Amino acid sequence: MNAAPDSLAQLLQSAAAMQESGRSVLKSMLGMGEIEVGTSEKRCVYSEDKISLYRYAPLARSAGLKPLLICYAMVNRPYLLDLQPDRSFIRELLHAGLDVYLLDWGYPDGADRFSGFDEYVDGYLRRCVEFVLKEHAIDSLTLLGVCQGGTMSLCYAALYPTQIAQLITMVTPVDFKTPENLLSKWAQHIDVGLLTQSGNVSGDFLNLVYLSLMPFRLTQQKYVNLLQMQGDRVQLENFMRMEKWIFDSPDQPATAFREFIQWFFQENRLIRDELTLAGKPLRLKNVTAPVLNIFASKDHLVPPSASIPLGAHIGSKDYEALEIDAGHIGLYVGGKTRKTVPAAVMAWLRKRN
Amino acid sequence: MSDAELPPSMPPHLAPWKDFVDGLGMGSFNPSEMFPGAPALGLSREYQETARRLVELGQQFHQRYTEFAQQNATVMQDAFHVMKKRVDARLPPKSPAELYDAWIDCAEDAYHQAAHSDSFARLLADLCNISSAMKVERGKLTEQLARHLDLPSRAEVDSLHRQVRALTAALHRPAPAAAPAPAKPAKSAKAARTARPTQNPRAVRTPRKRAKK
Repeated sequence: MNAAPDSLAQLLQSAAAMQESGRSVLKSMLGMGEIEVGTSEKRCVYSEDKISLYRYAPLARSAGLKPLLICYAMVNRPYLLDLQPDRSFIRELLHAGLDVYLLDWGYPDGADRFSGFDEYVDGYLRRCVEFVLKEHAIDSLTLLGVCQGGTMSLCYAALYPTQIAQLITMVTPVDFKTPENLLSKWAQHIDVGLLTQSGNVSGDFLNLVYLSLMPFRLTQQKYVNLLQMQGDRVQLENFMRMEKWIFDSPDQPATAFREFIQWFFQENRLIRDELTLAGKPLRLKNVTAPVLNIFASKDHLVPPSASIPLGAHIGSKDYEALEIDAGHIGLYVGGKTRKTVPAAVMAWLRKRN
Repeated sequence: MSDAELPPSMPPHLAPWKDFVDGLGMGSFNPSEMFPGAPALGLSREYQETARRLVELGQQFHQRYTEFAQQNATVMQDAFHVMKKRVDARLPPKSPAELYDAWIDCAEDAYHQAAHSDSFARLLADLCNISSAMKVERGKLTEQLARHLDLPSRAEVDSLHRQVRALTAALHRPAPAAAPAPAKPAKSAKAARTARPTQNPRAVRTPRKRAKK
């Protein structure tokens, strides 16, 4: 690259400005203190082993819809959905008058290493669903599954179709073997039996895998961009909340993780109708409730091609797919989507109640 | 042990590792040292096997990691080529930030190409599988050590967890239908004393706090 003297001077000037901005950022970060996440009021209404079922305090008059149970992924913490007051998917639903429950899988430890995938779906999730049904004296509820939690919700809806009035899946993998799915490609040759032979799979290991999907952006560029925030406190706090969430990854219970990788990623059993959970054959055709399938067009973890096939495999006659112009995380916290996605969910639910 | 004493196939930086696993041989005769490939013999044969396996795994990891590093170097070279083409084809970046962002785009593009290849996936899987195998072997040594020191070992804790799980599963199982009342009551006090309950206690789940309706 040949640079003329004037453009070289410009470059040096910009470099100096960046350095100054970086200094300002670091200064602001020094006095930042603790970062708060998950700020909406909620209380634990049921707990068992490591899991907790939370019910959120209402923020508006009831919309008269069925209660919504959110089943989040086990591989991350669910407070992404309620990161901060102005970036909260859950808060938007509460403002719209929905009664929201959240299943938090907690932080599994060595005591959970022998818990199988079926125990999470046909055990903990089932008991949480039954708790909500009993609490409201109703026969069915709305189940909303996120990412891996979406896959678990699909399994549940196939096993217990009468308990699900509506099913919403968000960035949910269904076909685990599409060409765009890098995670799946990497998972094919992993000896997951050997990986889990010496216990749970650490959250740090999973984080390393996620970072390896886009290493230059996720380990370098985002921190360089941070230095350009010019000490804007609000922006810095937002960054730090997200940073906390990204690396707050629970260890995965060995048996459940092994089964999930083997059955879903390596053998693609869900879409091939070859899955059996707790001794019961699981068929996607048994999912007959109305389904809203939300996926993100720029998702690098669960590419759209992994989510889109859902409609062709379920038995529901009321199926709607909603593509959002966002990434896997931006769907919940992005500038526009944090309002438009909950609004779309509410509109879809209102039409069906 | 000096580098000169290392077997020719072993990289020098593995010397401390070899010292460690040699120490586990407890000073007994180790024929595999003199005759590579010979089976481990004697009192410490189990330790020798584990130690030998760890050395082998260490070598395998080193070899695969070198290949991984080479692949990453190729990615970087590809990224530089793409970057040069882009800069030549367009106006030069106006700021360091623009230049840097362009570099990241090129690097990610090159990485994306490589990461989606089957060879990359196999390389990553090999590194992961070798690490897992090393962890298993290390676990065996730790297990032995714990037994020697009379400390609770992983196997012991696992055994307890299995027992707890079996008990929990029994509690979660729905109680079988009540057996019909016996036609005749027990005749003797002895018979009554020896009677045992035939059904599991029913699982009772009490939420910590109940929500208001």
